[in-house]
Amino acid sequence: MTGLYDQLESVRASFGFFIPEMILCSAIIILLIAGLIKQDASKLLTVLSFLTFSTSLLTLVLYWPLEDIPVNIFNGMLRADNFSAYLKILIDVGGLLTVLMTWRYQKQQHLSEYYALIVTVVLGAHLLVMSMNFVTVFIALELISISSYILTGFSFSKSGAEGSQKYFLFGSVASAVMLYGFTFLYGMTGSFEFASPVFVNALINNQSTLLLVAGSMALAGFLYKMAAAPLHPWAPDVYEAAPMPVVAFFSVVPKLAGLGILTKFTLALNLFGQSVHDWQFVICLVSMISLTVGNFSALLQKRPKRLMAYSSIAQSGFLLVGVAAFLPGGINFMLFYATVYLLVNFLVFVYLQYFEAAGFETLESFAGVGRQLVWPCVFLLMGFIALTGLPPTAGFTAKLFIFSSTWEAYQLNGKSILLWLLVFGLLNTVISLFYYLKIPFYAFVKKAESNPITNNQTFENFFGLTLVLVILVLFFNPDLLMRWINKINFAL
Amino acid sequence: MFPVEHFLFLAALLFSVGLLIIITKRNTIMVLLGIELLLNASNLNLVAFNQLWPASVDGQMFVLFVIIVAVCEAAVGLAIVLQVYQYYQTSVTDSISELKE
Repeated sequence: MTGLYDQLESVRASFGFFIPEMILCSAIIILLIAGLIKQDASKLLTVLSFLTFSTSLLTLVLYWPLEDIPVNIFNGMLRADNFSAYLKILIDVGGLLTVLMTWRYQKQQHLSEYYALIVTVVLGAHLLVMSMNFVTVFIALELISISSYILTGFSFSKSGAEGSQKYFLFGSVASAVMLYGFTFLYGMTGSFEFASPVFVNALINNQSTLLLVAGSMALAGFLYKMAAAPLHPWAPDVYEAAPMPVVAFFSVVPKLAGLGILTKFTLALNLFGQSVHDWQFVICLVSMISLTVGNFSALLQKRPKRLMAYSSIAQSGFLLVGVAAFLPGGINFMLFYATVYLLVNFLVFVYLQYFEAAGFETLESFAGVGRQLVWPCVFLLMGFIALTGLPPTAGFTAKLFIFSSTWEAYQLNGKSILLWLLVFGLLNTVISLFYYLKIPFYAFVKKAESNPITNNQTFENFFGLTLVLVILVLFFNPDLLMRWINKINFAL
Repeated sequence: MFPVEHFLFLAALLFSVGLLIIITKRNTIMVLLGIELLLNASNLNLVAFNQLWPASVDGQMFVLFVIIVAVCEAAVGLAIVLQVYQYYQTSVTDSISELKE
């Protein structure tokens, strides 16, 4: 046992790697107090949350070079490395874009609690991607979940209450099952640190069926957070019930956080290739089911929000394709995919919000709008093309990258499931074309019945133009981003 | 001292009963109770497994965290049930189904 002084000293040293999280913690308190003191403080609160995410982002970018060597902080509870730092940057960008969307949404009530909860989810996501211990995994996951249940109800309507209740019931059962899985892993190893040599060695010597069951139970919690099949049924209802900025937020931030921890956890379960149980098969299977369920259900949808919910389930499948390769290259490509997905998803949601505010709530109502609102429709079309994965957008590059890593993995170990995954992925890309292009089809090809509006809002178009340019630049020169991502050496 | 297995069987029983309640009961309050049972099954497991690894009290520490999280979850859950009740005048899950395509 080390002395108290050493313990305190190590905690103090850990705080040096904990600055973004401390910023977020203080922001939660400040936002709540600001909402109490000042009536009608919506501008102040928006600016405050904007500043919070910008400073947190700035700190992360400034500290980026320091994170090359992984550092265990708080006695191995968390780990600061460049894999988690990159995901944290993405998560903060997601938070920032959500604040911008909320600012444009304008009719959000109870802004101080709303922003405090958004920051809480981002804080939980930060902690989750850094976690190396079941205790922190559970607490971070619950931090995200509990705040998300409340955020779903922030439309303060009948459907909002129902959505948040469904989310709550589904989510708490999923995390309880995950916890039960954790307890067995603890019983088998005597350690909560899932990447530690103690944990891995104990599991190598004791690979019973219990490991398969407990591992799958633990994975269930992460898959639920990612909205991957077979734990996706909450997504469509929650997406339909929540306000649009929250939907955009849910489709990115908790998903990326779940993805980060899932990657670490499955690679730990793989026991450096010495596992008897084929976890690669499990991930491939989950990915294939997500792709198929998401895409085929999306074909039947009539409302844009539900369509995007199923689209996000399918996109979870694509993100898992990157993990399923079990190669460092695959994980880097998955990060590239996640970056593109973040940008494209927000591009689409900004315009869906813009159209929803103008009264377009079903897919049919978009008929003929492409002639009046040319630029919004063109940008929305670009977003959908990128989600499908067609050139000339970065969506194509991202899909090419992750499928090439699957092919590489197939050539390395010759498992037929990887080939099936590749085939499924490519077929599903074709299927997704049919529903992603539905809205642009209605907007440009169908005739309009009435001409309700003609106002071209400037901010959305500026926002859309920026994101579209980024997506195009990343297609023509993916090296700009890959140069950064390739510095990430994923190690447990 | 009892062998660990006894506690594990009890925990497994609690877990199964919890799942059964969640699946069969139609009232949200009862489902909340089922969720509590699931979490307590895990707590029992953690404390029991700590017997196998007496070098530290990790398992028992985790239980404290789980209890706190369970309280937060119950608080939020009940608030949501109340909110739903105000709109629907019921807490039976089957009759709360407006969100469907």
